[in-house]
Amino acid sequence: MNAIETVSLSKQFTGKKRARVEALKQLDLQVAPGEVFGFLGPNGAGKSTTIKLIMGLLRPTSGSASIMGMDVAQAASRRVVGFLPENPAFYDYLSAEEYIRFVGSQFNMDASLLNRRTEEVLKRLDLWEARKRQMRGYSKGMVQRVGLAQTLVHDPEVYILDEPMSGLDPIGRALVKEIILDLKKRGKCVFFSTHITDDVEKVCDRVGVIVQGQLRALDSVENIMRSGIEGYLVQTRQHVGNQAALQEFKAIRSNEQFVEYLVPVAQFQEFMALVGESSVEITLLETKRRDLEAFFLDIVENGKSA
Amino acid sequence: MKTIVAITLKGIFRDKVFQGIMVTALMFLFIPIFASLSMRQVTELTITLSLSLISFILLLLSVFLGGTSLWKDIERRYTFSVLGLPLSRRSYLLGRFGGTALFVIIAASVLGIAAFCVVAYSSSIYPSDRPIVWGSMILCILFDALKYILLIAFAFLLSTVSTSFFLPVFGTIAMFVTGGVTQQVYEYIHSPASKTLSPFLKQTATALYYIIPNFGAFDLKLYAIYGLPLPANGLLMTSAYFVVYVGLLLSVSSSIFTRREMR
Repeated sequence: MNAIETVSLSKQFTGKKRARVEALKQLDLQVAPGEVFGFLGPNGAGKSTTIKLIMGLLRPTSGSASIMGMDVAQAASRRVVGFLPENPAFYDYLSAEEYIRFVGSQFNMDASLLNRRTEEVLKRLDLWEARKRQMRGYSKGMVQRVGLAQTLVHDPEVYILDEPMSGLDPIGRALVKEIILDLKKRGKCVFFSTHITDDVEKVCDRVGVIVQGQLRALDSVENIMRSGIEGYLVQTRQHVGNQAALQEFKAIRSNEQFVEYLVPVAQFQEFMALVGESSVEITLLETKRRDLEAFFLDIVENGKSA
Repeated sequence: MKTIVAITLKGIFRDKVFQGIMVTALMFLFIPIFASLSMRQVTELTITLSLSLISFILLLLSVFLGGTSLWKDIERRYTFSVLGLPLSRRSYLLGRFGGTALFVIIAASVLGIAAFCVVAYSSSIYPSDRPIVWGSMILCILFDALKYILLIAFAFLLSTVSTSFFLPVFGTIAMFVTGGVTQQVYEYIHSPASKTLSPFLKQTATALYYIIPNFGAFDLKLYAIYGLPLPANGLLMTSAYFVVYVGLLLSVSSSIFTRREMR
């Protein structure tokens, strides 16, 4: 059973002058339990629409979606979900503690467990000191942290987070990444949308790229990173071994101590064989690759299909 | 749903609009002075002014709390997070309505106690010829509260279809004004004085009489002021009317709200 599954999920909106806008087109997606899935896309690509459809906030024009095998049209499907909406807003007349308790009560949590979990999550999200203050006095970052705290309080199996790093400072972003990695370690499924590729690269198992309502790429981060290898930067020690044996490879930098080569993937085996034969000492070996951002930009700009 | 009711009540008590409206209740302190200026029927006038002030405050609370409760949740995006919980939209809507209705009952009770104190004080200084029927006053306030709960149900219905606060707030005010005169209009068009009106107009007015709530039926002020015997059958009919009407309004509201797109 998939943690999240969509089958030909589509959504059309009626825009100005009754124009039909296809916000999401035939999305087929399966996210496994325990998987961290990054949903990448530029602004207006359909990320939030997808999430709202999965959370039952919007009704699909066609297709279906399920969480842990349960149709999202049923409120019970959200019993296993921690959901963070985009730019979240909570009853601002409540304090963070009151809101977290309210959320816990919706999941029928036992009172003592709820007390313990409320304290845990508020401390973890650095909201403990401010827990009694009404949220109308919170900064944007604090509200975002309340949003994350309320997804964690009932320790669900599935986390659906819409732009979880939005509005957070670098410390907050690092904390969120740490939380996601911790959830991954504990076998939880995390589905999160973002347009920041660095976030995806660091925490995700798989990534989907959506552009203009269509899923344009779907692959594991590992595969993408591997396919993006352009060559290797090899640094050898000067005056050790027979450097002349490597002369067919053009050095990109050289000084009294080191020589650096940029070796294309296709020639790497040959290069390493020559290094072995000539007793050259390697001091540094680094993979040169296109990062996920370049991959993402290619897809967005060229409409390249994976 | 209970937690939504509790959250709603908490929100109202912490709302500045509510706090502002409740300042109006300070006018109770001046009622005995105003009533004494009439020089006759001071107790009756005290009862009239007290019940009218309660009615006015409940109207303000119903319009502003009922008309903005759901709309504000949607406008401020609170619904995205709350409806992401394992809570049906029907429960959410009924919880919000229940909290607001419960608040109206609490407010009516508190204001009723203030009114009793004022009437008791006034009648001790200017004794009335007629006995004060406290039971009638209680029923008058209770039916007033029911009237405003019905109005809140209308405000919720309008909120489920609206994207701005204009329709819920001004629509509720319009409904209150219209609902207050439907009985008179109905009686007029069925009297000989209306024989010059076209049959179409009469049929339309009759149809509207059955659609628009009849708030006149909830008005027991005259019975309370003059200590007249209350019509038991009429009260029973009005209670049943309230239950059926509110039930219908909430069913339609739930149905619309369940289908509403949260964009």
